[in-house]
Amino acid sequence: MPQEIDRDEVRRHLDRGAQLVEVLPANEYEEDHLPGAINLPLRRLEAEARDVLDRGRPVVVYCWDSA
Amino acid sequence: MTDQAAELSCSACDAGIDRCEFCEETDCAKPVCYECMTVALGQVLRQPHVHGG
Amino acid sequence: MYDYVTGKLDWLAAGLPSEGTNAERPRAGDVARSDVPTCQMDERLGDVRERVRAAGWEACVVVNEERVVLGLLRSKELEANPELRIEEAMRPGPSTFRPFVSVDEMATFMIEHDLESAPITTSDGRLVGLLKREDAARVALELRQAERTEPKDRGRP
Repeated sequence: MPQEIDRDEVRRHLDRGAQLVEVLPANEYEEDHLPGAINLPLRRLEAEARDVLDRGRPVVVYCWDSA
Repeated sequence: MTDQAAELSCSACDAGIDRCEFCEETDCAKPVCYECMTVALGQVLRQPHVHGG
Repeated sequence: MYDYVTGKLDWLAAGLPSEGTNAERPRAGDVARSDVPTCQMDERLGDVRERVRAAGWEACVVVNEERVVLGLLRSKELEANPELRIEEAMRPGPSTFRPFVSVDEMATFMIEHDLESAPITTSDGRLVGLLKREDAARVALELRQAERTEPKDRGRP
């Protein structure tokens, strides 16, 4: 289960080289995403994470909000 | 006297409202409810959507 | 793995930078006037009105010490009895909008609803600035004109 973090913690993780992943559909990602985030829609996350993400760096995932 | 039902309806979804949530007026020509307004302005993502939580 | 639970909405609402097609378009926070006069609830309306007009404005945002928006004074409220305290004269709890909302959308709404100005705040209610309808409309128009004259107009037929 991923550990829940807030905005300040996101920024600290990013300063230490974390990878940012937006799990919304591609069209949502294209309109707006956090700087440096890559797009892995949720249904593809498990299948593609191994190929796309660097195992040596922490990963921060996010959606639109907590709803 | 009985309470009057809301006379205004949201111009987008027809929900009864007391006033327009954008301009706060009760005589707005195109009143909008809070939810429809925030979706239209992009402050809320309309459900359903793929959620990553 | 970490989950940023409050997500993109929280990030944008805090006024933090983003990337993507929307990020290239002007947003409410970019166009809102951060130099809008502010006042506090216990001030006298007459004093505030004088100060506001001397600065060339017809609106004033009522804030607390932390710049959290509590109310708004537009032209109509500024015309009230000058002896009133701001708390009595203001429009309390006005509708506020996040900095990341597109100026194009705000302009459309402000024109349709005949709203002369709208406070732009962060998600914790702190004032970013006052978006004036004329500024929003001007920027929206410039954007549409720029989009109309882009790529198609290369050279003459």
